[in-house]
Amino acid sequence: MPYHEFECSKVIPERKEHAVIKGKGEDLTSCLPKGYLNTIPGSISERGCAYCGAKHVIGTPMKDVIHISHGPVGCTYDTWQTKRYISDNDNFQLKYTFATDVKEKHIVFGAEKLLKQNIIEAFKAFPGTKRMTIYQTCATALIGDDANAIAEEVMEEMPDVDIFVCNSPGFGGPSQSGGHHKINIAWINQKVGTLEPKITSDYVINYVGEYNIQGDQEVMLDFFKRMGIQVLSSFTGNGSYDDLRGMHRAHLNVLECARSAEYICDELRDRYGIPRLDIDGFGFKALGDSLRKIGLFFGIEDRAEKIIVEETAKWQPQLDWYKERLKGKRICLWPGGSKLWHWAHAIQEEMGVKVVSVYTKFGHQGDMEKGVSRCGEGALAIDDPNELEGLEALETLKPHCIFTGKRPGEMAKKVNVPYLNAHAYHNGPWKGWEGWVRFARDIYNAIYSPIHQLALVDISKDEIQTDYGFQTRRMLSDKELPEEIRASTELSEYTGNYDVIADLRKKTYPEFPRTSADTQKDAA
Amino acid sequence: MAANHTIKNMAERKYQKVYTSNPLDEVDADTKEKVSHLENYIMKHCLWQFNSRGWDRRKQNAGILGQTTQLLCGEEVNITTPQEKCYWVDAVMLDRNYRELFPWLLELSKDEIKALMKHLNARLDWTLIDGSLNLELTVVNY
Repeated sequence: MPYHEFECSKVIPERKEHAVIKGKGEDLTSCLPKGYLNTIPGSISERGCAYCGAKHVIGTPMKDVIHISHGPVGCTYDTWQTKRYISDNDNFQLKYTFATDVKEKHIVFGAEKLLKQNIIEAFKAFPGTKRMTIYQTCATALIGDDANAIAEEVMEEMPDVDIFVCNSPGFGGPSQSGGHHKINIAWINQKVGTLEPKITSDYVINYVGEYNIQGDQEVMLDFFKRMGIQVLSSFTGNGSYDDLRGMHRAHLNVLECARSAEYICDELRDRYGIPRLDIDGFGFKALGDSLRKIGLFFGIEDRAEKIIVEETAKWQPQLDWYKERLKGKRICLWPGGSKLWHWAHAIQEEMGVKVVSVYTKFGHQGDMEKGVSRCGEGALAIDDPNELEGLEALETLKPHCIFTGKRPGEMAKKVNVPYLNAHAYHNGPWKGWEGWVRFARDIYNAIYSPIHQLALVDISKDEIQTDYGFQTRRMLSDKELPEEIRASTELSEYTGNYDVIADLRKKTYPEFPRTSADTQKDAA
Repeated sequence: MAANHTIKNMAERKYQKVYTSNPLDEVDADTKEKVSHLENYIMKHCLWQFNSRGWDRRKQNAGILGQTTQLLCGEEVNITTPQEKCYWVDAVMLDRNYRELFPWLLELSKDEIKALMKHLNARLDWTLIDGSLNLELTVVNY
């Protein structure tokens, strides 16, 4: 087994089995780090907790809901806003966060009365919102507050409201992934099948494991609408609470982030016979193949093909402009979970970069199987790294850029490695053909930002060069490029708008007449 | 419903291993190389082989590779359930890409294609299920 032992972690020998270097001829029977285990004492993990995984990642992107944390105020504050999962209802779920603000006296005497009072106050403060999710936290779970019972009481007293309770306290798993699991299962157990949706198309999907980061879901929704597909529900980005109660009526579950949402797809398949189709929304080829697969399933592949031809013709020259300037750049792909495998192969093939390392904070071994398979020989794969390991890897691998979260990202900046926010993006959306070009542009802007040349100079000891002025990105990136590339009139930088989502929200779509025998029944 | 949902196929979930060593160990070098090309494409471009439980992986491998074999051999694929249709979708994509990337595949006889695809299925069952280091494959719940 090609385990990699970090110098800084020699004092924690168990860490050795959590990192591997993919060697020649290695496959998954010989090269796979351990994963989804409790963080080893002594290793300061970058993970979140199971409450965060349930609330921040999966619950809160639901847009028309009062999301209330039953616990101390810090729990809700620290899971608020930072993921940029926007919505088309003026970002209600981002603007407001709710907490019962549990204090020491409630821990001693119980906090159920406080919870009930808060639920009623919140509904009164926002009379237009009739749906709520309650998230249990460590403190209230430990004292045994029965949030389900309180929710039932309120629903009896206020018949026009509906409440979902998520029992995923912070200690409910090794990482945020434990919370993903719990909320998936809780939602299908409590809510799926409790509302009958209106079917408006012959082709009906649930779009699962998509969180509308900077508008990703809305970009994909545009493609689905252009194909005449009804997206019954989005789990959960820009998704509606009541739509998600009707998931059982879809014909197909289209699954994007298998890490966070495969559980509900597998259960929907098991309980309702709805098949699960895994797709990749990132990258020209992967996205095109994904739309083709959905088109094939419904017998409307021609509609997918039309989109693929149009989008590729428009965006390929712009992607290639960046590819020429990103060739050979070393990348550390260090996201939370699924993006390590969504991106690993696609960025190498389509942007020309080289992935020298993948890591996952909360992924399982299944994620590493995909990640290790999709990157090349010599790549360092790390499970649940600590900050010192991250620094050691940066020193050894000398990447040109890392894609990661805010905390390790800031650490990387201090050692002069530019970082892109893999969780919340820089200038997303990054899905779709245009989004993929935006991603390439963000990588280009990060790597060639002149600030990195300036920041390298230590004014306390280095000699300051005075024979040249400020350099632009273009001056830095084009220095070594052949003339025919530099002066190409076919390739161009990104030409899209700053905000690509506003126009999508105003767009109208063609009507596709229904042919299904169920049409009359569904309309009734 | 469903709060008291019971697992219908528990026996399937408590599966026994099929292979105890790499089934391609005894196979000739040419076949090994051909299988490795086909396998590499799947591992780089597909996701269907990575369902998180071993019993699902075995069904996925058999379903999709079985239908891909039929397509490569020009045989009719019989689809009766939504799940089979889902297999068929991935099989069609694989068939198209294999034909484009590996033209040598089309020069083989039907029997040779079937034998090769059987080796590929065995290899994926080994790498992703029976020989896998993934400790979560045998968890019986989703």
